[in-house]
Amino acid sequence: MKTFIELLKSSIRQFLRDKGAFFFTLAFPVIFMFTFGMIYSSGDSFNADIGVATPDDSALSQTFIAAFEGVPAFTVTTGTQEELLDSLRKGELTAVVSIPAGLDAAEAAGKTATIKLYYDPTSNTATQVVIPIVNEVIGKLDRQISQQPPVIQLSEESIQSHTMRSIDYLVPGIVAMSILSTGLFCAVPLVQQREKKILKRWSATPLNRSSLIYSQVAFRLVLALVQTGLLIFIASSVFDVQMLGSWPLLLGIVLLGALCLISIGYLIASFIKTQEAAMPVLQLVQFPMMFLSGIFFPLAMMPDFMKPVAAAMPLTYLGDALRQVMVQGAPVHSMLINVLVLGAVMLVCMMLSIRYFRWE
Amino acid sequence: MEKTTEDKELKQIVTITAPAGIPAAFREGLETDKGRDNDTVITVKELRKSYGGTAVVDGISFEVRRGEIFGLLGPNGAGKTTTTEIIEGLRDADSGHVSLLGMNGLSRSSACKERIGIQLQAPSLLPLLTVEEHIALFGKVYRQCLPVKQVMEFVSLTDCSNKLTKNLSGGQQQRLSVALALVNDPEIAFLDEPSTGLDPQSRRGLWETIEAMKSRGKTIFLTTHFMEEAERLCDRLAIMDHGRIIALGAPQQLIDTYFPESAIQFDSEASLDPAVLEGLPGVTHVTRDDGEVVMYTADIPATITSVMQLARDRGIENKLKNLHVRQSTLEDVFIKLTGRRIRN
Repeated sequence: MKTFIELLKSSIRQFLRDKGAFFFTLAFPVIFMFTFGMIYSSGDSFNADIGVATPDDSALSQTFIAAFEGVPAFTVTTGTQEELLDSLRKGELTAVVSIPAGLDAAEAAGKTATIKLYYDPTSNTATQVVIPIVNEVIGKLDRQISQQPPVIQLSEESIQSHTMRSIDYLVPGIVAMSILSTGLFCAVPLVQQREKKILKRWSATPLNRSSLIYSQVAFRLVLALVQTGLLIFIASSVFDVQMLGSWPLLLGIVLLGALCLISIGYLIASFIKTQEAAMPVLQLVQFPMMFLSGIFFPLAMMPDFMKPVAAAMPLTYLGDALRQVMVQGAPVHSMLINVLVLGAVMLVCMMLSIRYFRWE
Repeated sequence: MEKTTEDKELKQIVTITAPAGIPAAFREGLETDKGRDNDTVITVKELRKSYGGTAVVDGISFEVRRGEIFGLLGPNGAGKTTTTEIIEGLRDADSGHVSLLGMNGLSRSSACKERIGIQLQAPSLLPLLTVEEHIALFGKVYRQCLPVKQVMEFVSLTDCSNKLTKNLSGGQQQRLSVALALVNDPEIAFLDEPSTGLDPQSRRGLWETIEAMKSRGKTIFLTTHFMEEAERLCDRLAIMDHGRIIALGAPQQLIDTYFPESAIQFDSEASLDPAVLEGLPGVTHVTRDDGEVVMYTADIPATITSVMQLARDRGIENKLKNLHVRQSTLEDVFIKLTGRRIRN
């Protein structure tokens, strides 16, 4: 136990002196969170610039303008149709609603009037958000004018107790990403120490070789907890993403996830002889997991043929488990399945690395 | 048979070291004490190891006694490191018997590892620890260890105690590596080419460290390809070549056995025919190299006299410059046994 603590202290000391490792494990996830946090945290107050072209100052035109100004997500500009369409072409506006002349007369005569909506079909915001809202506004106005009560009313109820923003989705993803690199890259010091005969040197001492491994695993776990703590602190203090679930459960998931990825790292270390070869192999494992396991965007957005790939990646389960416990995200798999998959991968990789690991 | 020769040797040592006037009975007691001090700490019998069909260690046997500096001397690739690492328990032998501190078996127990110290040929250090942290960390692994400061003094690294290993010079790394073999104050220290990469001054410093360890009763097992080092440090040594031991004994004993001749050397501008020189009394053979003539002789006085006489007869006495007698060295022994110099 005494030597275990000394080895652990020594690992921490060496880590703090290794500027590269320090940057990638602690600074990089934080920078990552700030960068994407800035981009996404403004995304939840959605805004679109809408032009409303009215031919006259009639009361009905004013009603239309007031109705669009009443939509919180719209910033309304008024003017003539020509001016507004010009702005739309320049990209200054997302869509232009054009009220035809003589709407009052049409209404009085009980005829159907046509309101034109101009938009850029290549703009996602216009097609996905603006058109439905404009439809809704006009539908309401129509009913108001024609004095007919709505027959069917849609009542929206979110199944989540709070609204999920992009940043909420992203924070557990960044935690999963940092556990991924901390876990996998445990292979590097090990391969390095074997290559430099340090493991051989240790085996000439009474030191139990397993305490060497235990101390390195313990160091990685400490690192994973420090990363998680740091990221959660920044997420809650800067981006108002609060940790909603149970802390002990989070602790358990972080430790299990880290152990699972550490054992994958050690399995890689069992087959790779030099440090130069270890880096690209680790990255080859790291990058697909980072981008294909749904830690940064929902799996539902993936093309169907990619879904089995995601299902085969342990990080998918870690990301899902973290999202469930941290921000109460909608589960992809049940917590039990997540835990079982992570545990099973850990056990298999551990047994394989015990079988194939070489000290020299 | 071997045992009796050993006993005889022991008796001889005791007779020499025991002060006069000590009662015979007491002298007997001293003798048994001496006998215990000289017990065998390493026994190697018929050790063999091959890699890819090539015998690297080819059936060697020797013993190392407590308190001595034992050297394996030989060129690179002679099998010194393999032999050392098999004794240390870091490698397995194909066949043969190794006993270390009375413990058999090829894989070493931790009780055994507590009592030995090892310096590997490659420095094998952690680049991001300081000298002091390194020594302290390795010390923690043993049940007992020497104070860090003392170990640093041993190898003259006190000045760079706070330097990171990666910033040390090659020689400093080598000394740190030796220091790690001494942290547990081992009974036997295995030093594999400890002076490789050291400048002459640090090399002498290291020799003093090793001699200081010996004076504290430690056994040192050393491999080297430096003749000077082997000659100065080793009480006994085994000369290894191509996986075999080709000679074993105390340095002087090896010289006396294999190369009893002394060398008479002089720079000669004079044309003294080697054939004539070889005919002089006592001369076994003559070499000529860069104007330096070396006459190997079994009878120094006779040879010198006759060389002087010859020169006087020919009137070239003043041309025999730098005439001196040199004791033959281990290098001479190695050349005689293998037909080549140790460093190719």
